[in-house]
Amino acid sequence: MFDPAVIVPPALISLVTAHVAGALAPVVWPWSDRVKNWLTHGAAVAACTAGVLIGIGGLLASDPLAFSLPSTIPLLHIQLRLDPLSAFFVLIISVSGVAVSIYALGYVREFYGRHSISALGALYHGFLLSMILVVTADDGFFFLIVWEIMSLVSYLLVVTEHEKAETRYAGFFYLVMTHVGTAFIVMTYLVFYQQTGSFTFDSFRHPGEPLPDGFRTVAFVAALIGFGAKAGIVPLHVWLPYAHPAAPSHISALMSGVMIKTAIYGLIRVYFDFLGGAFPWWWGFAVLAVGAVSALLGVMYALMEHDLKSLLAYHSVENIGIILLGIGAGMIFQSYGLSHLAALGLLAALYHTMNHAMFKGLLFMGAGSLLYATHTRNMEEYGGLIRTMPWTAFFFLVGAISISALPPTNGFVSEWLTFQSLFLSFMLPDPLMKIVIPIGAAMLALTGALAVACFAKAFGISFLAMPRSPHAKHAKEVPMPMRIGMGALAAVCVALGLAPMVVIPMIDRVTSPFTGTRLAQSAVSESGWTLTPMGGEFASISTPVLMLLLTVTILVVLLGVVLIAGTLKRRFHKTWGCGITLQPRMEYTATGFAQPIRQVFSTIYRPTVKVEKEMLEESRYFAKRMRFEVHIEPTFQRYLYDPVVRAFNLLANRLRVVQAGSLHLYLAYIFLTLIALLLWVG
Amino acid sequence: MVHPDLGSQMVNVCSMMLLVTSFAIVAQRRLSACVDLFAVQSVFLAVTAALVAFLTGIHHIYVAAALTILIKAIIIPMILKKVIERLNVQREVAFVINIPPSLLICGALVILAFSVTEPVASLGFLLTKDSLAVALAIVLIGFFTMIARKKAVTQVVGFLMVENGLFLGATAAAYGMPLIVELGVFFDVLVAGLIIGIYTHRLQDAFDSVDVSKLTGLKE
Repeated sequence: MFDPAVIVPPALISLVTAHVAGALAPVVWPWSDRVKNWLTHGAAVAACTAGVLIGIGGLLASDPLAFSLPSTIPLLHIQLRLDPLSAFFVLIISVSGVAVSIYALGYVREFYGRHSISALGALYHGFLLSMILVVTADDGFFFLIVWEIMSLVSYLLVVTEHEKAETRYAGFFYLVMTHVGTAFIVMTYLVFYQQTGSFTFDSFRHPGEPLPDGFRTVAFVAALIGFGAKAGIVPLHVWLPYAHPAAPSHISALMSGVMIKTAIYGLIRVYFDFLGGAFPWWWGFAVLAVGAVSALLGVMYALMEHDLKSLLAYHSVENIGIILLGIGAGMIFQSYGLSHLAALGLLAALYHTMNHAMFKGLLFMGAGSLLYATHTRNMEEYGGLIRTMPWTAFFFLVGAISISALPPTNGFVSEWLTFQSLFLSFMLPDPLMKIVIPIGAAMLALTGALAVACFAKAFGISFLAMPRSPHAKHAKEVPMPMRIGMGALAAVCVALGLAPMVVIPMIDRVTSPFTGTRLAQSAVSESGWTLTPMGGEFASISTPVLMLLLTVTILVVLLGVVLIAGTLKRRFHKTWGCGITLQPRMEYTATGFAQPIRQVFSTIYRPTVKVEKEMLEESRYFAKRMRFEVHIEPTFQRYLYDPVVRAFNLLANRLRVVQAGSLHLYLAYIFLTLIALLLWVG
Repeated sequence: MVHPDLGSQMVNVCSMMLLVTSFAIVAQRRLSACVDLFAVQSVFLAVTAALVAFLTGIHHIYVAAALTILIKAIIIPMILKKVIERLNVQREVAFVINIPPSLLICGALVILAFSVTEPVASLGFLLTKDSLAVALAIVLIGFFTMIARKKAVTQVVGFLMVENGLFLGATAAAYGMPLIVELGVFFDVLVAGLIIGIYTHRLQDAFDSVDVSKLTGLKE
């Protein structure tokens, strides 16, 4: 009844048509901004719905589906291939896309009259379409082209508010970093090309003769750096906290939730599909180490952020780290031939990839709603918003619970699976690995704990207590489309947490071609309600039962309250303030909340504290005014990026001699080159 | 029907005339005379093209020849003369490299062009095969003019000489390009002529001179 081969081609055509129509319609006719907004984002919803169908179709199809267009450019083959891995990412992009497009219907109202809605809409469509093409491209050359389009379009979206200097800086930073990354990806593909003489992924997959070890290593390292720059691994993560906050919030949701996932796609494609088979042990170990460091540093820097969107951007670094932990563990198991465990590690990584896309999209939309309502990203100016914006608060809370990996949400399931695959490292034959991988698990545990602290801060400071500024006091709940967009992803987050037994067999179809084993039978118990990654004797968990327990516990507590107090009536009283009227200035600040952690990890943060006191003349015990400043050291920028930038500037200054500004001189350069070439060649 | 050898000789004579006018432009001191000489060169180019069209029976080259007359021998020289008049620029050409050394260098360039194209020309079988060297020589001389002369107007003339050389080369090496390409090229040249004309105006406004070496000040 649902035949992928019948469903997918028309869905693909309607997806492309909807994107093109949605991009062009507002450009060709001078409708009002309102109409343009509805047209372009309505088309985006339609296109993404078609994308959901393609994703599901591709996952269910028994064989990969392929599509191609004729091309007259040498070496370029416009080929698409929808295997389960591609389909899985198409599904992620499209589900986020539907929710974000609905959200954008409301959010973009902010830009009416200030920015071109046509341009924003056209770029938005280009962004979505290029991401779909990136994960389905079946040719290295074509992949690079759409990858580059994706990068450039997202750059243009980041600089939407280009009248602000900081936005332009963020955009430039992003542009540089993404191109450094692209250069390394080109290198990866060239390694394959020089061996196979073709850019098609098919020839990468089955080279005539296997690649020499040296080339395999180059491809591995180049792919890790190239895709890592896009994904935001430490130390290539520095652009995320600039670029993601600078973009309009619905774009941030897509960039942070989905775009950086295309890099995860690229890594899995290159490692498991092209380089496949037995890896040297240190490959997996390198990925694992990068993952552990990214996860821990990501969350630690997130804790120190008071710009809500920067905070979320750092959390993306953390979650990319968690995903890489899963991939790294899978690669290590693969090296030692433990294919069952390899499948588990990869499955955990893919599950977390999907989950992160959902809850990070949700959280960025939540942050966007706060920005929409208060016009500031600074958490210190929020407060008390749960009363004025109850819907946003609720959805943000769901996202916060998910990202903190608490049951019954999806983040819990995938992080639990990642833990399981790390714990199972005791089955490895190598004693070194047996010791090292649990350290990764410990770092993941610390990361999880800090993430909870961070979101306790983010939610508590933003939504609870009293408004800290007039902005927060006069905030209003956001328009309906924005609430629907957030609500949709919140529902998906909970559903993915409650139904891992549906999700795991689906992801199993993605991983089984790479690992050669199927997990679906053993990972879900016979009754279908319990997860048993290793057949039940090692560890098992059932989120529906957990949910049931939670609900029952809450009901029991309520019942107890009724029994003891005799009533459930709410009584309203003022909070006791030691006899003083409570003021917003008495509240815990975000800086204060993070203070204990800043103290504990001061070796990493290296904070500089500046306190200025102005005392009363009469007594030095009473301060008239106090000023407190604390900065943490931007270690990577200061010690890694600044020297590189300085070196480049120095070199460029030397080379400036060549650029004298004289037209004649430039012409002479060309002329002399021509003569030299004529003499040399002729 | 004309004897092939005779035809080849006639084409060679005409293309040589192009080269001679190139030298004349390099040796010229007055701006308006430079433009006139360029118009003359374009006429020779059109005659060469027409000869080739007549000898080979490829008719679309006639169209190219006619367009050459129209655009390069009439319209563009007109634009340039207007620019010279309206801007009231000094009638003298300003030099980076003076005339006698310029002529010597151009002579060297011609030798270079002939020596470089020699292996290609000896393999050729078209009746225009010797013109290839001449074409390359004109391209190089045009380029050299752009470097060695200061004023924007002389640079335009140099640029157009390069274009003439390329056109001759295309005719010589392959009996011309497909008509659609030729049309595109003519359009490009016309647009380039217009743009450079406007640019010269702006230059005059900004610096009170059309000396492009003043642009050095624009450097960051």
